[in-house]
Amino acid sequence: MNRWRVRYLSSRALLYGGALFLVLQAAFPFFWMVSTSFKPPREIFAQPPAFIPQDPTLENFQRLFTATNFLIYFWNSLTVSGLAVLLTMAVSAAGAYSLTRYRYPGREKIAGLILCTYMFAPIMVVIPFFILVKKIGIENTHFALVLAFTSFCLPFTLWLMRAFFQTIPIELEEAAMVDGAGRLRAVIYVVLPLALPGIIATSIFTFILAWNDYIFTRILISSDELKTLPVGVQDLFHSALIDWGLIMAAGMMITIPALIFFVTVQRYLIRGWGAGAVKG
Amino acid sequence: MPGPPDLRLQAVVPPEASSQAGAAPGGMRLYSQATRAGATRPGRHQQFVGLLTIAPALILILSLILYPVAYSIWLSLLEKHSFFPQQRFIGLENYVYLWGDEEFWTSLWLGVVYSFWTILFQILLGVAAALILNESFVGRGLVRGIVLFPYMIPTIVAVILWKWLLNDTYGVVNYWLLALGIVRDPISWLGTDEIMLSTIVMSIWQFFPFVLLSILARLQTIPEELYEAAKVDGASALRRFTHVTLPQIRGILFVVILLRSIWMFTKFDTVWLMGEGAGAGRYIRTLPVYAYMRTLTYYQAGLGAALAVIMFAILIVSTVLYFGLFREEADIG
Repeated sequence: MNRWRVRYLSSRALLYGGALFLVLQAAFPFFWMVSTSFKPPREIFAQPPAFIPQDPTLENFQRLFTATNFLIYFWNSLTVSGLAVLLTMAVSAAGAYSLTRYRYPGREKIAGLILCTYMFAPIMVVIPFFILVKKIGIENTHFALVLAFTSFCLPFTLWLMRAFFQTIPIELEEAAMVDGAGRLRAVIYVVLPLALPGIIATSIFTFILAWNDYIFTRILISSDELKTLPVGVQDLFHSALIDWGLIMAAGMMITIPALIFFVTVQRYLIRGWGAGAVKG
Repeated sequence: MPGPPDLRLQAVVPPEASSQAGAAPGGMRLYSQATRAGATRPGRHQQFVGLLTIAPALILILSLILYPVAYSIWLSLLEKHSFFPQQRFIGLENYVYLWGDEEFWTSLWLGVVYSFWTILFQILLGVAAALILNESFVGRGLVRGIVLFPYMIPTIVAVILWKWLLNDTYGVVNYWLLALGIVRDPISWLGTDEIMLSTIVMSIWQFFPFVLLSILARLQTIPEELYEAAKVDGASALRRFTHVTLPQIRGILFVVILLRSIWMFTKFDTVWLMGEGAGAGRYIRTLPVYAYMRTLTYYQAGLGAALAVIMFAILIVSTVLYFGLFREEADIG
């Protein structure tokens, strides 16, 4: 009996120890970023470093908002990510509906082709993409960025939405249509509400991809006032003396919107992941 | 599909079609064909609406992903400046040049080293963490949220975080190592000797939550009865893992390893941003970084494209081999 108790306790200890390690490794770097961003310069370079700022200040943030184009980058990131989310949702909902509800020659081939493009990394297409965008004459525009993000999200979001639509019984729409609703109304009032977790997962995925993107913005955008956050913040590094307080404040300001977005919709993401992963 | 709903479908088609025709060039032609034939054959309408709704997605993917991939194959046969229009067809010369280019082989090797270690530890850590988070304990929901976080933040933030932690003079890592007496002199984590190690550790930190999330989603679908049956049979925890859990997650593991390998081998932003400004960037110049530099530092678009094509070829060959080696898992996945 006693041996079982010891064994049980040690396995619990191992479990909590593991969980603690997971939390610390993920959270400590962020904690350090937050702490540094509130320190005055003298404290940032102090040895030994203090965990909690002794003399907390907002001067790093103040400098970030007044001395750099940070707010412009922030606004650019927000609009580009928002538009990419809207476009991706519309295109992938329509596409996934088509793949699950209509029968036409080549449908399975199209689905397979779309999944295959999931493998392509931006670095493999970004150069020809740039040349193409230049030919069309939309280089250095947010429109080009939105198109780039949407097309790169599509393989995954279509896959995800398709998995969700497959779980919605076709009879529900048919019932609505028998009751006199048109196809479009049946979709809007019956199918889309049921697919809401999928739509949310799609929007999280797209938002995060667009918000985090570095390479497309680096290559497609040349004017400073059109840059998004990752590229704008990278350029803060180029000064001769790195202003760590300023950079940590910037890092915090980029992380917060992603954090809010992520925390509010997190449980949908795990569910969506499950649906996609199990199907795949 | 039964008859009556289909008849109603026809009434819906025109407004839907006209609203989307603008988005899909060529849609109009299809549409007029469909109305002519569709009046007698409802099946045509089905096909038409189906094709129309998939069209925007298909057009975007074809023109913005597949066309660029095809174009880069053509580009790799040219001598072309990255920004100016002049170009010259030179056949396979770019490839011949790369064959004799020492830097190419170095970058290929560095890319393999980087991918191998990051993938290995992502999988080990990811599976272990998923097993932990699949158990029930106080605060599990919170831990799950926190652990996923590094995967969700922009790469630039992950990079500045780690560059600050690893800073040789003011970094907290070196401070601890010195304070605990583990090292005598501060280690130059971003210097020539250690930058590969630092980049690998940082990449594992950033990307293992993807493995964790994928495996966890699968673990949650394993019926509890399987474990109870194993327990009744007196199987130890290790045996329960190898005999119950592992066979169940084999399929998803197959997919996750494939995706992570593709993504780590083509990982650009993490490696590029870690190396930039550190002075030791040359020691983590993996294949994607080298392709980027050829195109945007030396403006040799043809050579850059040739490198992209080579990367692509390596991926295709490895994927085919992988599917061949693990045919059984592929079927489960």
